[in-house]
Amino acid sequence: MPTEERKKLLGELKNSLSGALPEERIISGDYAKTGCHLEVRLSDAGMLRVASVMKEKRFYLETITAVDFPDSFELVYFYSTWHQDFCRLVARIRISKEASPRSVSSVYPEAIWLEREIYDFFGIRFLDHPDLRRILNPDNADYFPLLKSFGKTKLTEEIDDILC
Amino acid sequence: MLNIKTIDDTTINERVYQLNLGPQHPSTHGVLHLLMKLDGEVVVEAEPIVGYSHRGHEKMAENRIWEQFLPNTSRIDYLSGLIYNHGYCMAVEKLCGIEVPERAEYIRVITSELNRISSHLLGIMAFVMDIGAFTPFLYGWDDREHVLDLLERVAGSRLTYCYNRFGGVRNDIDREFCDGTRRFIDRLRGRFSDYHNLITENIIFIKRTRGIGIITEDTALDFGVTGPTLRGSGVGYDVRKNEPYSVYPEFDFEIPVRKEGDVMARYQVRMAEMEQSMNIIEQALDGLPQGPIRSKVPLFIDPPAGDCYFAFESARGAVGYYIVSDGTRIPYRIKVRTPSFSNLFVLTRILPGNFIADCIATLGSIDVVVPEIDR
Repeated sequence: MPTEERKKLLGELKNSLSGALPEERIISGDYAKTGCHLEVRLSDAGMLRVASVMKEKRFYLETITAVDFPDSFELVYFYSTWHQDFCRLVARIRISKEASPRSVSSVYPEAIWLEREIYDFFGIRFLDHPDLRRILNPDNADYFPLLKSFGKTKLTEEIDDILC
Repeated sequence: MLNIKTIDDTTINERVYQLNLGPQHPSTHGVLHLLMKLDGEVVVEAEPIVGYSHRGHEKMAENRIWEQFLPNTSRIDYLSGLIYNHGYCMAVEKLCGIEVPERAEYIRVITSELNRISSHLLGIMAFVMDIGAFTPFLYGWDDREHVLDLLERVAGSRLTYCYNRFGGVRNDIDREFCDGTRRFIDRLRGRFSDYHNLITENIIFIKRTRGIGIITEDTALDFGVTGPTLRGSGVGYDVRKNEPYSVYPEFDFEIPVRKEGDVMARYQVRMAEMEQSMNIIEQALDGLPQGPIRSKVPLFIDPPAGDCYFAFESARGAVGYYIVSDGTRIPYRIKVRTPSFSNLFVLTRILPGNFIADCIATLGSIDVVVPEIDR
């Protein structure tokens, strides 16, 4: 039964995560609604420890992304398995607008490009990143396009008002 | 893989030179730029430079209502646009809890799999053309034309489709489409022996692809490689099987896996996958239920505040939509995880030590679509 095995896997994962991150909140996600089996809310720079645990369990890093909220950024890390009993974990961390989070590229080399993309679009500078340059936008750009403050004009606000 | 001697630092400036492959190069599949450091013909370092066709789809999503982003999805990956279209609809339906009639799901699967066949045909044939065989390309193009005709009949466009709607699909399929699809499948099955004759058993092709550009399982894990590229490395991970969505669990199909991890393995996986797609389409046509093709969905949808991640399998690997809603008619954030982005980055690891001619074969076998990377 894949569901039984998944339960076992989730239990093991919870144990090793709570061993590595004693102070963090690990909650079971609602898969039918959010698409994730486990959710970890990080409070400090625990993303590197999560990444090491996930690498040990042979999860792959699906993607990293950021969301620009009015007073903070949220970094979202998705990990999932290649096994038959599929499992996805999401790790979230709220950081302030000026913060420099730690890079996970030492654990997952894929993160080099994913974090470059986040820097490119949000201006978030990652610590210990080997190659933090622009990736999709021009090298000499002085803007960060996915910030909510970018591209807002009176016209777009009026259009938003009409649509909403 | 070649064993190159480590280059002495004192001679590096004299012996190593840079070569720009692309951005306008016929064998780099769109505007991909590879900056390579070469020692003679051997690659010392390769760096893909992307972003030439960046259009800002994720920013566009934040400036329009949910429905208006539908046409954008098929322009992210223009070769498997319908699959992206399908995935976006499913992601929003998951967030809003919209029910989809069974017939609509069957139609979505049929059209998505047809799109996968057309994408694989183009991918394989363009790859074979890159390493010097022009004839198979024309045969493949001929077959692909039939898929495009079928999809044009039902979706109205040939490449950048906008066929799926929230809660169903735009048009119903008719008898002529079903018959045409069956005829096409019969025809393509017959063509496979030609393809194997022309490509798979071709001694030049075998020599150019065996043992070249090997991606091991660990490298794949490091770089998040998915899709046929991963399945060529011995991992049977396919979102359609591992995390079933839509009506895929109802069909009987296999996930082709090869252990070698080289260019040949990736080619063979794609060929086998086309056959599996044909099986799925046949089963879906046989079991096509009657009924409505679209459920009642309000003109403007207002998803509840929250977020959701939805993964599906495109022709190139696992795609994911991460959508965040703040409860208004405009998406707060849509992030698209595109497989080519990760699949391309693995080149920095596997190209060094290979001949430059093998780079072209490796690049072709990964089958990147550049607009998908750039978004």
